[in-house]
Amino acid sequence: MNTDVQLKVERQNVSETGAPAAPRTDWRRLFGLREMGVYYALLLLIIVLAFITGYLGRANYLSVLNLSNVVYQSSLIAIMAVAMTVVLISGNFDLSVASVAALAAALLIGNADTLGFWPAAGIAMAAAMAIGLLNGAIVQFVGINAFIVTLGTMTAVRGLVLIYTDGRSLSASDPGVVETMRNFEGGRHDFFWLIVAGGIALLAYGLTEFLKSYRAGAALRPTPLGMTLGGIALLLLAWAADGELLVRNPVIYMGVFSAVVWFTLTFTMVGRRLYASGGNSEAARLSGINVTRYKLMAFVFCSAAAGFAGILFASRLRSINPAGLQGAELTVIAAAILGGTSLFGGAGSVVKTLAGALLLYSLTNGFNIMNLGANWQGLIEGIVVVTAAAIYTVGGGRAKSKTGG
Amino acid sequence: MQPIEPIMQLRGVTKAFPNGTLALRGVDLDIEPGKVHGLLGANGAGKSTLIKILSGAYRATLGKIIWRGEPVTWDNPKAANDMGVATIHQHIPLVPTLSVLENIFLGNNGSWRRSSASREQFDKLCARVGYWLDPTALVSSLSIGQRQMVSIFQALGTGADLIVMDEPTASLASDERELVYATVRRLSKGENKAILFVSHFLDEVMALTDQVTVLRDGKAVLRAETANLDENQIAEAIVGKQIVALEREAEHRDPVVATGKPLLEVRNLTSPSGLAPISLAVAPGEVVGIAGLLGSGRSELLHAIYGSDRYASGTVAVNGEQIGRSTGAAVKAGIGLVPEDRMAQGLVPDFEIWRNVSLPALHGVSALNSLPIAERERERAWQAIRLLSIKADSPEILVKELSGGNAQKVTIAKWLFSDVRLFLLDEPTAGIDIGAKTEILRLVRQLAGEGKCVIIVSSEFEELIAVSDRILVMRDGRCIAERKTSETTEHELLLLAGGQSATPEVAIH
Repeated sequence: MNTDVQLKVERQNVSETGAPAAPRTDWRRLFGLREMGVYYALLLLIIVLAFITGYLGRANYLSVLNLSNVVYQSSLIAIMAVAMTVVLISGNFDLSVASVAALAAALLIGNADTLGFWPAAGIAMAAAMAIGLLNGAIVQFVGINAFIVTLGTMTAVRGLVLIYTDGRSLSASDPGVVETMRNFEGGRHDFFWLIVAGGIALLAYGLTEFLKSYRAGAALRPTPLGMTLGGIALLLLAWAADGELLVRNPVIYMGVFSAVVWFTLTFTMVGRRLYASGGNSEAARLSGINVTRYKLMAFVFCSAAAGFAGILFASRLRSINPAGLQGAELTVIAAAILGGTSLFGGAGSVVKTLAGALLLYSLTNGFNIMNLGANWQGLIEGIVVVTAAAIYTVGGGRAKSKTGG
Repeated sequence: MQPIEPIMQLRGVTKAFPNGTLALRGVDLDIEPGKVHGLLGANGAGKSTLIKILSGAYRATLGKIIWRGEPVTWDNPKAANDMGVATIHQHIPLVPTLSVLENIFLGNNGSWRRSSASREQFDKLCARVGYWLDPTALVSSLSIGQRQMVSIFQALGTGADLIVMDEPTASLASDERELVYATVRRLSKGENKAILFVSHFLDEVMALTDQVTVLRDGKAVLRAETANLDENQIAEAIVGKQIVALEREAEHRDPVVATGKPLLEVRNLTSPSGLAPISLAVAPGEVVGIAGLLGSGRSELLHAIYGSDRYASGTVAVNGEQIGRSTGAAVKAGIGLVPEDRMAQGLVPDFEIWRNVSLPALHGVSALNSLPIAERERERAWQAIRLLSIKADSPEILVKELSGGNAQKVTIAKWLFSDVRLFLLDEPTAGIDIGAKTEILRLVRQLAGEGKCVIIVSSEFEELIAVSDRILVMRDGRCIAERKTSETTEHELLLLAGGQSATPEVAIH
């Protein structure tokens, strides 16, 4: 009897200490499929693959070597997908990324032997950004739908690649150039301590924010939570890596690039205005934002990222096939959609897009490990993309803010 | 005059909405064949609800609809249509990618897109109305007046005996209006159709209708033969005798004396979207009301001043400095616009209150002039919630989940936290409840008291009288009159905005 009464009193105390007016944390939303779905899917896939590989007695999926391979394989697509997220947030669409990347690759290979690697890379980037400017200008000033415009440029730029290469494969032969390419693309660095430090920093920051909002009695926000979980994941990785973690250059580029874009979108005025321009361009315009410029720059940015990916691609193979990267634009867009980016603009997150890209490449990697062959891959990937879209559309119930970092 | 059996009779029709609004409180209406019946009323008087009940889109909560002497109930527009009631809505719902012929017979059941039968029917319709259109032309290629004719044909094509026309002339040019008038006359006198003609324009109601019903606050307050009425009586009935508290305050207010330099100077501002050259000067602390009906150029004027109409020409100067033709330049110069359609133009629906509030003035909450600090933004949103008594538990609420009045307050709050000196308010009180309305109007006076300029557009002229120092009346894209608030009445404004017949004598009285 006594204990009953005490319990009651305690409960009352608890409810009284929480500030009455403060909004309650919506745990169901915070951990709901709409917010976290892509992470669950990634986690689930990794666990399933780990069990299957363990059961079949094949090379362990969860080995650090294999995981870093998956990240390496996904890096090119991930860079483009992050940039695609920016275009999608701005309310537009870019189908031409893969063609632009192929053009940049062809220009690099074609000019590197005569001009040297860096000038050729400069030409490639300039050409890529020019196409982005063209895309954006047609969409914004002529007013044609971005889907149609970039469908056209996708085909036309692929045509340019064919014209430039005359339909044959090109390759770089100058030993100096080959060496630069190898260093640029193939270098590895031991990032063990950086990963440890990053993990601790994220964990510490996330937990402090956690405590702060707990003390203030405010609702828990998704960003500190994501940071905490990310920190834990990095520390686990470091623990598994056992003192040495070699990271290849493209992964570093991807990491730095994504971090910069994430920071810009989440914390700067530019990011806020971009979300507003995509979320309601008329309201953004009437708030004094130069919507046209933001949307145009998103195209240029996306094509620049595609150009950079093309340079990485060419440096990896040191040659270019005119059909190289064909179809990659769909993988890029699929990664962004898996990450919950809205096709109608105004919503999207860099981190989730990265998770989407990793999800797609984990699938591919898993198929290879299990010797399932490429025939099944398309079917499964397609089902995964549509399922993800269905979850984002139906699963979350009421649409809440989708524009968290 | 022998009594004619009315084709449509409403008896005590009442409509209550689930949120507790009583839009209609027992309306009686008799519409006779061969007559044009005018329906008038201020915004929110219940006209749209009544039309929706007639057309079958809403169901009356109480009361009887008697159609050709028999009580009926219809649940959907199709049912009403089948029985012979056709409605022509204000925003003409046609399929722009289909041809005229296909649009007219859209509701017909048939398997083929082109049938000679519908073609014959179309020719007959043209002959009846005395107006010819190319049946194969796409609707998207037609002018607004022609589209209006297509929707009239559509209504006739169903063989309707009662045609409800909801402000059919609101967005038409004057020659196109004449065409609609001629058609209405032909249909009522020549074919004995009953027509319910809804309009804000008093002169066309006088010229066109045989009978008039005026709604106010969901009740029919005037029912008479048009021949026994004049515009004054109609305006009187629309306005009623209510005086809100604010109007009483207005009587005690000293008029602003324009001394020194005006804050805003507009010279020869004109726009192809429907604004004749206008010049205007507004002194600090002055509230200028723009009285005008839909399509009178009132919103066009605000957008031209703000620079969001990129085809507008002329000069706009704030504090003597001319500003560029872009919204960015206007915001920098200290102008804020609260647009007419808050969800489509004023707010980012997927943003929370705090991100909407800080959008036009991010510099004030940012570190290093480029990094917005979320905590400061939330604090600012809390201030907005307290200042404007926005009904929201926290700034985290998405604006699309707010009610109309609260969303409107957020669009206004956007401009309260930076150095905005000129507020352009486009229908800031449309579609919101009376409490929120009064708060917004109070805020306008408060802003003026702080030495800021306000230009406010409203279709509810009593509000303009309550808050403005001076009122400009617009019609057909031009400013046709200017009145000091102390020297005008809602009545006179209605006459000026809705008809040309306002005479100086009326103005004085």
